[in-house]
Amino acid sequence: MLADALEHLVRGIVDHPDDVEVTSRTLRRGDLLEVRVNPSDLGRVIGRSGRTARALRTVIGALSASGAVRVDVVDVDRR
Amino acid sequence: MTNETNQIETAVSPADAVVETQPGPDEVAPSNRLEEEGEIAADYLEELLDIADLDGDIDIDVDHGRAAVEIVTESEDARSLNRLIGADGEVLDALQELTRLAVQAKTGERSRLMLDVAGHRQARKVELTAIAQEAIDRARAEGADVSLPAMNPFERKVIHDTVASASLVSDSEGVEPKRHVVVRAPAQA
Repeated sequence: MLADALEHLVRGIVDHPDDVEVTSRTLRRGDLLEVRVNPSDLGRVIGRSGRTARALRTVIGALSASGAVRVDVVDVDRR
Repeated sequence: MTNETNQIETAVSPADAVVETQPGPDEVAPSNRLEEEGEIAADYLEELLDIADLDGDIDIDVDHGRAAVEIVTESEDARSLNRLIGADGEVLDALQELTRLAVQAKTGERSRLMLDVAGHRQARKVELTAIAQEAIDRARAEGADVSLPAMNPFERKVIHDTVASASLVSDSEGVEPKRHVVVRAPAQA
């Protein structure tokens, strides 16, 4: 559910919604959600001073029933 | 850490925003645009509620030149929406931020939309108006500036509006998250 919620939230704020990909991984310390977007949308998802990424984390954290969730925005270009 | 532009205190002219060319009428009346903002926001939020399996409906309104969108519930369990408000309304603010961006992504223009959840902001507004009134009375009685606790942009705006309507002056001082309102003492007669 959290991955779907995150994907929906991100798809709504980018220019290339079809390029949005969210993968969910279970780590020892809790869930990790990784967001990949079109490189041209990276700034949108991070926002000035990381403000948008922070808002995404706040909302996803609030929806999580099972404790802390890490949300990472992955810069595809650097991989 | 934050150097956010204060969207409530600094009105952003729509003319500054990039407008994408759209077919149809050359100029859309502002109220139509605000209604459109509300509808885009409602779609965005409705699907989120759906995915998160939260019980809620979306009300759309236009208030003081802004789209006003509220998530409401008729369910007995109003607490289910509390998680969308969060401590000190931080989740509500984050959700409002994302909703504004979702509107901007569709319209190409910056949105000043206000989001509320289950009357939270409205209730807070009543509290804040009382806090402002108390500060106004003190500034008048003591002839000294009155500093209020740190508040978010929405809260400061309510205080500034109340102070202005009492014909006094107030300023915001400090840096987020410690930014707070100071109610100035009235000028000596």
